[in-house]
Amino acid sequence: MASAEGGAYSYSLTVFSPSGKLVQIEHALAAVSQGTTSLGIKASNGIVIATEKKSSSILIDDSMIEKVAVVCPNIGIVYSGMGPDFRILIARARKSAQAYWKVYGEYPPTKVLTQEIATVMQQATQSGGVRPFGVSLLVAGWDIHRGPSLYQVDPSGSFWAWKASAIGKNMVNAKTFLEKRYNDDISLEDAIHTALLTLKEGFEGQMTEKTIEIGVVTVPTVEELQAETRGGGTGRPRPTFRKLSEEEVKDYLAL
Amino acid sequence: MEYNGGSVIAMVGKDCVAIASDLRFGNQALGIASNFQRIFPVTDRTYVGLAGLGTDVTTLRERFRYRVNMYTIKEERDIEPQTFAHLVSSTLYEHRFGPYFVEPVIAGLENTSSGSKPFIAAADLIGCLNFAKDFVVAGTASSKLYGLAEGLWEPDLGPEDLFETISQTLLNGVDRDAFSGWGAVVHVITKDRVVTRTLKGRMD
Amino acid sequence: MECGVRCPRRRRVRPFCTQTAMYRGPGFDFSNSLRNDFLQHKGVALPKATSTGTTIVGCIFKDGIILGADTRATEGEIVADKNCEKIHYIAESIRCCGAGTAADTEFVTAAISSNIELHALSTGRKPRVVAAMTMLKQYLFQYQGHVGAALVLGGVDSTGAHLFTVHPHGSTDKLPYVTMGSGSLAAMAVFENGWKPNMEVGRQPLSPALPSWYSNDNVRPAVQREEALKLVCDAVAAGIFNDLGSGSNIDACVITATHTEMLRNFVKPNERVAKELKYGFRHGTTAIKSEHIRSLVVSEEITPIRGEAMDVS
Repeated sequence: MASAEGGAYSYSLTVFSPSGKLVQIEHALAAVSQGTTSLGIKASNGIVIATEKKSSSILIDDSMIEKVAVVCPNIGIVYSGMGPDFRILIARARKSAQAYWKVYGEYPPTKVLTQEIATVMQQATQSGGVRPFGVSLLVAGWDIHRGPSLYQVDPSGSFWAWKASAIGKNMVNAKTFLEKRYNDDISLEDAIHTALLTLKEGFEGQMTEKTIEIGVVTVPTVEELQAETRGGGTGRPRPTFRKLSEEEVKDYLAL
Repeated sequence: MEYNGGSVIAMVGKDCVAIASDLRFGNQALGIASNFQRIFPVTDRTYVGLAGLGTDVTTLRERFRYRVNMYTIKEERDIEPQTFAHLVSSTLYEHRFGPYFVEPVIAGLENTSSGSKPFIAAADLIGCLNFAKDFVVAGTASSKLYGLAEGLWEPDLGPEDLFETISQTLLNGVDRDAFSGWGAVVHVITKDRVVTRTLKGRMD
Repeated sequence: MECGVRCPRRRRVRPFCTQTAMYRGPGFDFSNSLRNDFLQHKGVALPKATSTGTTIVGCIFKDGIILGADTRATEGEIVADKNCEKIHYIAESIRCCGAGTAADTEFVTAAISSNIELHALSTGRKPRVVAAMTMLKQYLFQYQGHVGAALVLGGVDSTGAHLFTVHPHGSTDKLPYVTMGSGSLAAMAVFENGWKPNMEVGRQPLSPALPSWYSNDNVRPAVQREEALKLVCDAVAAGIFNDLGSGSNIDACVITATHTEMLRNFVKPNERVAKELKYGFRHGTTAIKSEHIRSLVVSEEITPIRGEAMDVS
């Protein structure tokens, strides 16, 4: 009988196997690797995150699908894996960013926000009555202390900083491709092209502005930073993360 | 405020800031101690002064210490004075309907892309921030300090000039306040060092 | 973290939530109330909260909204801040002037700005003024007037330009020209006298030769284009000069469908006169009892223990 607390059923589904593995987390990673490919590249003057947006039927209105999401003016996220799980995470991430803003009067640094999301994902591997999140995330952002930074978060709740990374269906090939293409002083424009080339490698069907989503972090110049009036309130910082419009994506694809 | 007495003042100088307070701790009209510290270091270059009820000065000092330490660990860096001011403000506003009886004053040097910049701020007991460009005051002598500082402060004072100005403002202000006085302490914060001086004050 | 009696609205406590999180759930902490009531009963005076005695105004013009505010904050009879900001950011094309308890206006607008931003992110649309107005009135009504914020909310969205007043208890008005705060009567007199539909606004600053508050005719032909902005400035100036709770400078904000222009310290009718002499003290004026210097410069010196250099070959 299930008691008010859930009784025996309240135990976590993620239990160690005798060999020391958490099978549920591995299953979650399997769900991620079935998702469409996403990737992120850190350039010398910014970051690009990109993903392919594939719908199972031509009858689906794909204008409503959003895979690259803005968290706060300086941070954006892309995912591979289960869309519905991502929706929950992005809502939590946005709330967390807003809560940070209310206390400190500024938006969180990328690392702090990533930690916050990772904590949420870790909790799902150790709490009763829940399953791990079926998504991997690439978090890209800019802050004054660490500059541009790119993080990957996995269903286990572990996270790493990357210069370039890929997640999802084609991640192994994409990563090999990126390893060959990457160098430390790549510019943002080149990084966007590299991102598109990498996606092209494992792309099924036509790459168009409807099937590609891109988000970019741009590093503000010293003059831009000084122009922003800190203190006082209404002087809001200019956003450093933004999604590219369909027209912009189209222009990059044409090149 | 008048229960234990005490006042704090902070001033901006050229590439430096100063924060000062008296040292009296009283039980209404009765003086109890002349060594009550109400200014505390937050980081190397940021100080906070808490004017108001003694018990809340101590409680809030510990709460801010806790919150700043957690911030430092989590963010792996020191808190900036402006960020700390917002932290103070939100902490106080959380107690909007059962406030701590304190008026905090924050002084520090901000790290900016072009070096360090003086920063001062004050808050009321429920956390309304006041970012001033010249000086801020708090405590039982605040009305006197406002007037004195308005007359004596001038822009671009060097560390030593700022010390004299803030000291004279504070000493003469608290001399006309029954609840403040009994000695004073002044901290002058510059890029390279913090100079702390204790001053002789009237003992009546 | 400390446990306090929480406001009843706190929804749930997540048992697994990190206790290290710096920010807490919504709602206020009442844990000091019992002690404060006791102290007050004993006759300990409660320190005064900063209030914005304030003149805040807003008016609709041809292309949008203009908001105006003075910049004085008071603590009882003391001027606490001579140049504070009372026009708060809600969204890019929605702004809100606040009067009343300064902390309340500051935090209530920050909370609603935050909610509006979340709302805009999740809907993918530009926020509407009515949404902000509804959030504000529901929040204020919930606290039954104890959150003392009297607001003038204005902005432009996909449905046009809107201007509201929100009272501390949660009631709202929608009017073409509004005033709030202790200087509202003085400001309203100016509006009633000078407002007309479809006024225009200019981008040029008011002519410096003739102070704007000096002139009585609001429709001088030469300044036709500055009409609306001038009217707002005149209304705030009426508050600044006739109401003790209002003072210092005039802030204005012009919101149109395409652009929001924040005119901080647009008119400064009360500039402090420069001091004729310096009142600096000679070094050594103040008697010092003790001095302590904390050096923040980290100096490192390497002293080799043995004379021999390390073999690095």
